[in-house]
Amino acid sequence: MILNEKKRVAFKTLGCRLNQYETDALVTDFSQAGYELVDYNESPDVVIVNTCTVTNQSDHKSRSVISQTARKAKNAVVVVTGCMANNFKEKLESQENITFVVENSRKSSILTLVDAHFSGEIAHPDQLPQDVFRYEPVKKSLHTRSAVKIQDGCDNFCTFCIIPMVRGNAVSRPVADVLESIRKTVENGFKEIVITGVNIGRYSDGATRFEDLLAQILEVPGDFRVRISSLEPDGFGPDFVKLFAHPKLMPHLHLCLQSGSDKTLLRMRRMYDVEQFRKTVTQFRAIYADFNFTTDIIVGFPGETEEEFGQTLEAIKEFNFSHIHTFKYSVRKGTRAERLENHLPEKVKTERSLQIRDLSVENKIDYFNSFIGKTQDVLVEKVAHGVASGYGEHYIPVRFKLAGAQKNAIHKVRLLERKGDDENSYLFGEAVL
Amino acid sequence: MMTLMRHDHETDESFYKILEIRHLTGNAFSIRLPKARFAFKAGQHISLGIVGGNQSREYSIYSGENEENLEVLIKEVQNGYFTPQLRRLKIGRMLEVHGPFGKFGMEPGKAEKGKFVFIASGTGIAPFRSIIRTYPNIDYRLIHGVKTLEEAYDSHEYEKSRYVLCTSREKTGDYHGRLTGYLKTCTFAPDTQFDLCGNSEMIFDALEILKGKGFSRDQIHCEVYF
Ligand SMILES: Cc1cc2nc3c(=O)[nH]c(=O)nc-3n(C[C@H](O)[C@H](O)[C@H](O)COP(=O)(O)OP(=O)(O)OC[C@H]3O[C@@H](n4cnc5c(N)ncnc54)[C@H](O)[C@@H]3O)c2cc1C
Ligand code: SF4
Repeated sequence: MILNEKKRVAFKTLGCRLNQYETDALVTDFSQAGYELVDYNESPDVVIVNTCTVTNQSDHKSRSVISQTARKAKNAVVVVTGCMANNFKEKLESQENITFVVENSRKSSILTLVDAHFSGEIAHPDQLPQDVFRYEPVKKSLHTRSAVKIQDGCDNFCTFCIIPMVRGNAVSRPVADVLESIRKTVENGFKEIVITGVNIGRYSDGATRFEDLLAQILEVPGDFRVRISSLEPDGFGPDFVKLFAHPKLMPHLHLCLQSGSDKTLLRMRRMYDVEQFRKTVTQFRAIYADFNFTTDIIVGFPGETEEEFGQTLEAIKEFNFSHIHTFKYSVRKGTRAERLENHLPEKVKTERSLQIRDLSVENKIDYFNSFIGKTQDVLVEKVAHGVASGYGEHYIPVRFKLAGAQKNAIHKVRLLERKGDDENSYLFGEAVL
Repeated sequence: MMTLMRHDHETDESFYKILEIRHLTGNAFSIRLPKARFAFKAGQHISLGIVGGNQSREYSIYSGENEENLEVLIKEVQNGYFTPQLRRLKIGRMLEVHGPFGKFGMEPGKAEKGKFVFIASGTGIAPFRSIIRTYPNIDYRLIHGVKTLEEAYDSHEYEKSRYVLCTSREKTGDYHGRLTGYLKTCTFAPDTQFDLCGNSEMIFDALEILKGKGFSRDQIHCEVYF
């Protein structure tokens, strides 16, 4: 639809990389259709809130963002989408400050819905086509790197997780579509692509598994580098590690351990044990000694004893994660863990999560310090007051001074010192010209 | 377990009428449903919901891949939410079925080649019955841990030499005690594949025993019920 008068659209995104990617794709859609991208304070005509429901906290945040946006953008069409829209569809539909509630499977068609609304048609989200891969390759983005979605959904049914209920069964995007999307995203000028999905290790299109697809992605011509969004530790085969020798594939994995106790892992219905995780980490570090592993840990899972928690601390020390996303276990209604016995008091969960946080900071400092004196290729994400900032190959945040530094350019930087407070550390360096 | 708000199935095609209920013990029963569009791999599970209810639970498929009906084996859990409701259902009532789900079970082509030890506690025997009925020539040993003899669900179907019943509360089984006690006494060929199904505590203990006997975790596959 060509709009007579330029309509203004604002986006708010909560949650994971996949959600961010889907927002970016919608930004591309709306701007190609002639909408102007504005902040939600700047009187938009449409506000799209892409919600998250992974924890109670995310629900809370999503709810408050919805009411805040609806209050600030008073006359705007408010579209609520994302995982919370699936999990609490009826409740959200009954809210007066929301115009449309669009489930994940129909998210890619929000432009059609909004266009129809402005043309005076009576539109209902349930009439939109269901296609989780219909997104356009990202052209205009809120970020420097662009994600490409290769997979959606999950049927692992980990006992704590609501995702299989809100994202549906595991489905994989056909290889040809993925490669085409990579090509277009590179043509659109992105220098870094993040391979994303809900459980990407479970990718499967005919005989093509995750690592086969990754090998093909790396062979797409062009000047770009590839990152992998978070990965479950049991989804890939023995050739995966070798792929990281490819200069395009960045040496970092967010490999979700969740717990260092085999007993807890079983109660979580995670299908690997600590020994298998150890094997993977050892294989990688035998070839790439400074490989960066980050992880997710859930503390205070029902029944977690002191001993089991102690095993998690040991695992964190052993695997040297440079960053840990710590989640205090919180009940998600409708998951199996809700009905497990021995839920722990909040106080215990808080104490344990603080211990993990302290270890995580120690690990981060040691890991960052080990890069001082080395050089990294840094993709610049922001330039402010003559200081460029971005991430090196290992996903370490780096800042450096360079006259005329440009966003979205890659610079070689020699790392000189660690700065910033502990948790928000970064490495400061100088450009190697 | 999930709330019934999935977006990827048409409601009408996921409703299945109960064809038969077999009462196996005082609190265990099987439900037979039409197979309809269902294609699954032996070992996989489905989710069942009661039409009009707002919760569902996962159940391993108890019947073989090529059978006419889809069957599940269910034990009523005292103070449970879902199973007491399921137990009250009569023939003709509708269930909402989703799936099949899961990676547990037999990979095509593997059943004829390998040696398998199936280790189950209670209703954890369900996926193994499905596998054995799908692959009648499979080389297996089935170790089933229960409290009392009556929980040896459909045990007459298995070749006597391949089925070991461990009863922990009475001396009626082939072995008196927990299945993990029996497992400790066993020897297995080095290339055996192990499949474990049931509660997480049994699985943890059995894994430790098998690893202690020198088997690699990669030879062991687990399906955790609770
Ligand atoms: C992949 C998968 C497959 C499953 N297959 C089967 C199956 O084939 N047959 C079957 O009976 N159950 C099976 N279950 C368990 C089933 O999904 C339900 O948890 C069970 O029926 C109890 O539901 P409920 O609502 O009555 O109990 P809830 O109100 O959910 O109470 C759950 C509590 O009951 C206990 N519990 C759960 N399952 C059992 C059980 N089977 N025996 C004894 N105690 C239990 C646990 O301690 C749990 O904390 C399976 C679970 C999973 C994850
Ligand atoms: S693998 Fe487990 S934690 Fe990850 S999305 Fe699937 S169910 Fe959730």
